[in-house]
Amino acid sequence: MNCLQFENALSDYLEGDATSEQRAHLNSCSACSGLLADLSLISSQASSLRAMDEPSVRIWNSLEAQLRREGLIREPSRPSHPGFFNRWRTAWLVPVAAALLIAAGVKLYQPAKVGDNQPVAKQRVPASPAAPVVSAEDKDVMNTVASRPPAQVAAYRNDLAQANSFIHDAQEAVKNDPNDIYSQQMLMNAYEQKQMVYRLAVDQNNEDEQ
Amino acid sequence: MSWGKCLATAAMVLMLVGVSLCAENVRKDLHFKVGKHPTISINNPYGPVVVRAGAPHEVVVSAILHSDKVELDQSKSHNRVDVVSHLLPGSNSSNGVVEYEISVPPDANLTLRSENGRVHAEKLRGDVTVAGNEGAIEVIDCAGGHVHVRTLNGTVNLSNVHGDIEVMSVGGDVLMNGVTGDTVAVNSNSGKIEYEGDFSGEGEYAFTSHTGNIEAVAPAYASIEVLARSTNGLVQSDFSLDPKHAPFLVRGANSLSGTIGKAASSVKLFSFSGKIRLRKRQN
Amino acid sequence: MTDAKRPQRNKLSEQEAIERAKQGDAGAFEFLYDLHKRRVYSLCLRMTGNTAAAEDLTQEAFLQLFRKIGTFRGESAFSTWLHRMAVNVVLMQLRKKNLPLVPIDETTEGEEEGTVRKELGAADSRLAGSIDRLHLQRAVDELPPGYRTIFVLHDVEGYEHNEIAAMIGCSIGNSKSQLHKARIKLRDLLRVNRAEKLAKRS
Repeated sequence: MNCLQFENALSDYLEGDATSEQRAHLNSCSACSGLLADLSLISSQASSLRAMDEPSVRIWNSLEAQLRREGLIREPSRPSHPGFFNRWRTAWLVPVAAALLIAAGVKLYQPAKVGDNQPVAKQRVPASPAAPVVSAEDKDVMNTVASRPPAQVAAYRNDLAQANSFIHDAQEAVKNDPNDIYSQQMLMNAYEQKQMVYRLAVDQNNEDEQ
Repeated sequence: MSWGKCLATAAMVLMLVGVSLCAENVRKDLHFKVGKHPTISINNPYGPVVVRAGAPHEVVVSAILHSDKVELDQSKSHNRVDVVSHLLPGSNSSNGVVEYEISVPPDANLTLRSENGRVHAEKLRGDVTVAGNEGAIEVIDCAGGHVHVRTLNGTVNLSNVHGDIEVMSVGGDVLMNGVTGDTVAVNSNSGKIEYEGDFSGEGEYAFTSHTGNIEAVAPAYASIEVLARSTNGLVQSDFSLDPKHAPFLVRGANSLSGTIGKAASSVKLFSFSGKIRLRKRQN
Repeated sequence: MTDAKRPQRNKLSEQEAIERAKQGDAGAFEFLYDLHKRRVYSLCLRMTGNTAAAEDLTQEAFLQLFRKIGTFRGESAFSTWLHRMAVNVVLMQLRKKNLPLVPIDETTEGEEEGTVRKELGAADSRLAGSIDRLHLQRAVDELPPGYRTIFVLHDVEGYEHNEIAAMIGCSIGNSKSQLHKARIKLRDLLRVNRAEKLAKRS
């Protein structure tokens, strides 16, 4: 048997059908045994390529959105679903998280009373139709400005409602296409607006406390 | 004679006339000497605040207090001046009014805080930071610094302003005329955003609104790359844009993208349900 | 290799997750996705050679799987089922794009000489004891599409020739000979790369 003949039968050899002639040729031919060794090596190492690559988080985002659209996921999705934020890695959303923390810090400020003569009217805050359920932070803001003139209180309530409505719409847009960076930017803008409303209410309060 | 002092004098004359009509009004004048790039901070809940560039190294404050239910707190340390209209028990939005006319050095960094009073800042070169609730805010002929405006429902007017500019509003309209910079970012909710100018300076212009309409009027020679999208509103352009691959394609949304001229500046116009119009100036 | 490390723990929770996914539980879907995503994505990436296509195909494979999860009875291993679905999705895509799945057996001119004879000093150009995973991956990516498909399905993913023949629609003999050629080609690629490296060093 010569090398060419050996090679033509090589794939059978590798499958396990080795003939005595092939074995004999191998013993005497270093080139062919080298070839055999190489091909065996390649074949056996190939399985190390399984599961080598980590897919982008984008895939799950799109997939989940589609599963919800098709009704395969059948649980109520909460308006401000914390799971969304865990998944996103874009740098943009770090300031949003920071903004939310700062906003949450509103709880630390106590509502001040400007002037003893001012009637302290605690306003109940109704949820406006377009905005989601009023959050604890919203209640804090309304408490903070409760002692102000009614026109101001109404203005704050309206501003909060607008901010919440923006957040709600932006969240919907992001849910529909989690990979759309412009919707993500809109959501961040929406949160920044709400943070501004908090800040203006709180700053005003702090100034009055001086 | 500094321009600021002339103005203060003129204002004083006017105010004296005013004072004679309202016996309760009390006039207060403050004067501070400051160094380079001083920080000036004014906090006035009720009443107008007008700040103009005047002589270097001095801050001149003319205040008219409308009652004894409000007093001026002032503090100066190093290169920083703070003036606060301190509301006393029994004050409200009419007896708590203080009217300010202030002259500051052109290189001052200014922070103004108001609730329902009109705020006006003019001819300044430093950073200008304004926060207001309901009062109108005007920034005129300012350049070189960072301009940061926040309002809930006051109308914001920027005219001939250049620098890094950020405006955030909920219900207040934002009107810009001759505004350019490296970054011009406007974020509004229901307030409309109007821009008239050439988007020059190779800057990044980003106007975002929730429901407010966005209208930009640019000259035929503008050099911009446009990305405009309104999820639920119409998007129109007078310009015919050279198509450029848009990084997003949203089914059911209205969008426009492309370039005009050499596309030196980037203009992003985004709204949720506002109408977006990019118009060509007629002249 | 994460798949191998935690088989026992995952087997139990995989059963649970499948049941909960049938009820529409989002967390269960995510669990199943996380468990199998690397295997599916790597398969798609090896077969298509580009990340954008691989991402789309991965999503499509899981989508098809999750749509049918209600009918999964547990007769075969879930991963086998998923994997087969992923392969079908990829092959369908390659067919759509008219990419050659497997070139029909043809004799090329150089074959007369045989691989071995072409080399001089073949003995000392043997590949080293083990092949670096990245080198191998790069070499696989350089294979012509037809060779690559067979190699990935047989040597990487472990399918048998009869399964491959059924999936692709070629003969078993064709599958065997294409595999052989793929391995030969890989050997050439790996040796060229290694020679280049040695040349750079000296």
